[in-house]
Amino acid sequence: MAENKSDLTFESVKIGDPLGPSEFHLSKDQVRAYARTTGMWVPRFTDDEAARKEGLPGMITPGNMSLAILSKLVTDWIGASGAQLTRMGTTYRQPVLPDHAITLQGFVTDKNESNHTAEMDIWLENEDGERLVIGTATVHFPR
Amino acid sequence: MAVDYDPAIIGRVFETTDPLPVTAEMVKNFCSAIGESNPIHIDAEAAKKGPYGGITAPPSFAVTFRNGQHFFQHVPRYGKQGFDAGKDVEFVGPIRPGDAISLSSHVKEIYEKTGRTGSMVFVIVRSTLTNQNGEVVAHVDHKFMNRT
Repeated sequence: MAENKSDLTFESVKIGDPLGPSEFHLSKDQVRAYARTTGMWVPRFTDDEAARKEGLPGMITPGNMSLAILSKLVTDWIGASGAQLTRMGTTYRQPVLPDHAITLQGFVTDKNESNHTAEMDIWLENEDGERLVIGTATVHFPR
Repeated sequence: MAVDYDPAIIGRVFETTDPLPVTAEMVKNFCSAIGESNPIHIDAEAAKKGPYGGITAPPSFAVTFRNGQHFFQHVPRYGKQGFDAGKDVEFVGPIRPGDAISLSSHVKEIYEKTGRTGSMVFVIVRSTLTNQNGEVVAHVDHKFMNRT
């Protein structure tokens, strides 16, 4: 991802172009930091023991945090090109457990000449390749 | 597959919140929590040269605004368990430190779906975020899923 993306243009984008993959270890402390700063400090997002009492396998990542790191996958792809993330839809299919490696990725699925936009599928998967959070995004390019 | 609900609830604005202030610290902490290092969100000097002439929050900051305390009383519930099934967001304009954001919410849609694990009722609540200048900055569709 070290490539300079400032030359990304509507014309240069092709259907099938990849976003990511971006793989990293999502730590419990990072999830707690998110929960703290967004007012979501509730046991299921902060404490394993308390989460288990709710029937969960352990503390889970807020769905909105998954949305946030997926939107960052798109804005990192946009870089300094001047394009804008204008829409994003997400479905939280299964809980995202911290203290595991996760991978974010996607690809361009369509381009719309009249709107000057590109559509993409994006998802967050676990170490077993299960897509826990899936979504779509629209990026608008300046003319 | 008819879901039992009062059709009058669709579209009725049931809540408008008091403006919620956005501070520089909130944006900084949010960036830190999601690993955001783009200077247009964290560095005032660099952001001056960016597209908005100053620091803006990352787009996904729009979903961090909580609905007010009365919100859930007005959302119809089905069955026992409710889940946050996802969000659909339209990013309309930037959110900046110093802004005050008001939310106006209404039930957009209610529908039933049968999946692998049984029947589910989805309640879609749309919140529109408006800044202190009356400009809409985002629409957020909250997808609540209830197992029946």
